[in-house]
Amino acid sequence: MSSEKVLIKGNYAIAQAAINAGCQCYFGYPITPQTEIGEYLSAEMPKLGRGYVSAESELAAINMVVGAAATGAKVMTSSSSCAVALMQEALSYACSDEVPVVVVNVMRAGPGLGYVYPAQGDYNQAVYGGGNGDYKIIVLAPATVQECIDYTYKAFYLARKYRNPVILLADGLLGQMMEPACFGENPYPEVDVSSWALTGAKGRDGKAIYSCARDEKAHIQKIHDLFKKFEIITENETSYEEFETEDAEIILTAFGSMTRNIKAAIRVLREKGVKAGGFRPITLSPFPTKRISELAADGKDFVVVEMNMGQMFKDVKYAVEGKSNVSLVNRPCGEWLSVEEIVSSVEKILNKKEGAYASCI
Amino acid sequence: MEKNFILAGFGGQGILLAGTILANSFMLGGKNVTWYPCYGAEMRGGTVNCEVVVSDTEVSSVHKQDADFALVLNQQSFDKFVQRVKAGGTIIANATLVALSKPRDDIKYVFAKMGDIANAIGSSKVTNMVSLGVLADVCDIVSREYLAKAVELVLGEKKKQFLPLNLKALEAGCSALV
Amino acid sequence: MQAVFSTPKSMKEDFKFTFCPGCDHGIAVRLVAELIDELNLKENTICSTCVGCSVFLYDFLNIDCVEAPHGRACASATGVKRTNPEKFVFTYQGDGDFASIGFAESMHTAIRGENISAICINNTTFGMTGGQLGPTTLMGQVTTTSPFGRNKEYYGYPVKIAEQIALCDGTAFSARVALDTIPHINQAKQALKKAFEVQLKGLGFGFVEILSSCPTNWHMTPEEAHEWVKNSMIPEFPLGTFKDLTEVGVNK
Repeated sequence: MSSEKVLIKGNYAIAQAAINAGCQCYFGYPITPQTEIGEYLSAEMPKLGRGYVSAESELAAINMVVGAAATGAKVMTSSSSCAVALMQEALSYACSDEVPVVVVNVMRAGPGLGYVYPAQGDYNQAVYGGGNGDYKIIVLAPATVQECIDYTYKAFYLARKYRNPVILLADGLLGQMMEPACFGENPYPEVDVSSWALTGAKGRDGKAIYSCARDEKAHIQKIHDLFKKFEIITENETSYEEFETEDAEIILTAFGSMTRNIKAAIRVLREKGVKAGGFRPITLSPFPTKRISELAADGKDFVVVEMNMGQMFKDVKYAVEGKSNVSLVNRPCGEWLSVEEIVSSVEKILNKKEGAYASCI
Repeated sequence: MEKNFILAGFGGQGILLAGTILANSFMLGGKNVTWYPCYGAEMRGGTVNCEVVVSDTEVSSVHKQDADFALVLNQQSFDKFVQRVKAGGTIIANATLVALSKPRDDIKYVFAKMGDIANAIGSSKVTNMVSLGVLADVCDIVSREYLAKAVELVLGEKKKQFLPLNLKALEAGCSALV
Repeated sequence: MQAVFSTPKSMKEDFKFTFCPGCDHGIAVRLVAELIDELNLKENTICSTCVGCSVFLYDFLNIDCVEAPHGRACASATGVKRTNPEKFVFTYQGDGDFASIGFAESMHTAIRGENISAICINNTTFGMTGGQLGPTTLMGQVTTTSPFGRNKEYYGYPVKIAEQIALCDGTAFSARVALDTIPHINQAKQALKKAFEVQLKGLGFGFVEILSSCPTNWHMTPEEAHEWVKNSMIPEFPLGTFKDLTEVGVNK
């Protein structure tokens, strides 16, 4: 692909990036605000001789993805919030099976059917999962249309490199907005999957990919191994963005598209003489706990700004471990917290100073 | 510098297309820009709107409450968005379908008979292009040259036959306010 | 000396069935393995397995298998086939898996005409969990969750799977067979062969419902269980082929 900038919608950007990353087949079911991903791929995949399946449900779609991925195929599904809820069972299986699936969640408002406007209420769903048992998913949170492209490439690569499901956690704002972006080349190398992929038992015994465990000892060992693998992922892949933290006394923290607003709020606060900085986890899982802990040890306070009732807030608090103050500025869904709202909330927090302060708008 | 524009009208007036062309014109001018539509059930009832934010630095957020400029092509949109223009901002209305009224005194008003101008050129379908021309005339950061290039880019090869009419409408919009 | 009976090559050498004594699953698995041998499919096959009594299928068959969650085998197989159209792909499921929790996936796989083969073992109960009422439990049948027998007020009616699948435009072959007698076993193998062949010919979804005994949960001896298949199940679930496009080709 060219290095030329094009004005493109987040949803289309994700779809085209998936094609560039070598996605062989897409399985999906429509739901606002991500339907354009399926629409785009239904038009483009057949031209390339690749697959597109209009699944009967998200439940079916994710299980198609897991089946296909078990053969080493690069595949994905995309959906939104309440429908990603339907995929939780299979994600638990895929983690245990060590099958590289890619799921895109363009978040809308919950709980239940909620509404189609954007929100960030699936932080817990993505990071902690709604499936059974102990498992961990890699979660990437883009903040711009350009990052939708970059992290779609990354999602396919990480899924196969670590044989682990990856969720690209976008939101309705990102899915629907258009911005100039550049596709470039998929920067990641191919990953050899031949050692584990199911290809038919040619010249060898049959092999099986399954999560079912009968031997208790082996089962315990397997879960330890999976968590050891995630320690390596944490070591290698934890990713975050920091701005003006060096002299900062208060650090605004956000993920996904809210990052844009805290960046602007920091500019305003700096103009007003407040030593504000910013911290933005790019991988929500693995979470940059260590770095937040270091910043907190330097005495820097945190203000978590998010479009939910404080889901990332508790992970920041966990990382800070009481070393500094952590406050929350949030709204459950709908209109994104404006730069003005963030600035005035931070000013209120600064005036209070002692203890955590939460401001839900 | 960060400015945001709301474009609104009823379905079929080419609001989203006009917004796309405006956003492309900013991109061609080397600016950071974000386009954001109303979507889903929000669109029921026939009104359509989109938001374009242009910035010298990274675009902070879309989905803003207030606009620096509102470009409205029908009465319903005028009534709704006149309340959402920032103090000191400007509302630009299609006087063919919007009654002349000034419900607030802290904003600027621009009325142009965009629909009549489009009809005179040959089709009411290019009212959106006329409106972009008017916007370019009123708003310094909107460039006529980049708008013309953006029209060409967005129409592409497939709709090349409509290019002359669209450019003519844009041109007519630029000189509508004499 | 001539060997008149041997283990199919597609079975694992050291396999030990986990099925109860007298259960027909063993016969069904053997028929599948024989056909994989006869059609020379072992090196080219991927199976989506299910949750239920046949959950450990990959311990018996020496082929590549991917485990699907309960009810999702047809969806999983769709994923496998769409990304590996040259592979032979089949599912092996129970009636609970195929026709209760997974009926949406099963029906839609047939409706789409996925080029896969699906096998459903119907023994009128949820066997793995100890004999509860399932989608195919007969009217009046006593199970651990229908202690007074199945009635329409509480449970509604049993589903006739092979007939339902035959109604789908994407189905190329749908039949119901039984394993209670030698002739029925031979017929079952022929039906399975057809369900495999429609896939190999690219005609669409191939399906076989196999009536199977469950002596443990029916509280019968194996002989009594086969008698019950004959006297109670077959009258309700008639044997036969409900759709066969082998001659006419794929539905347009």
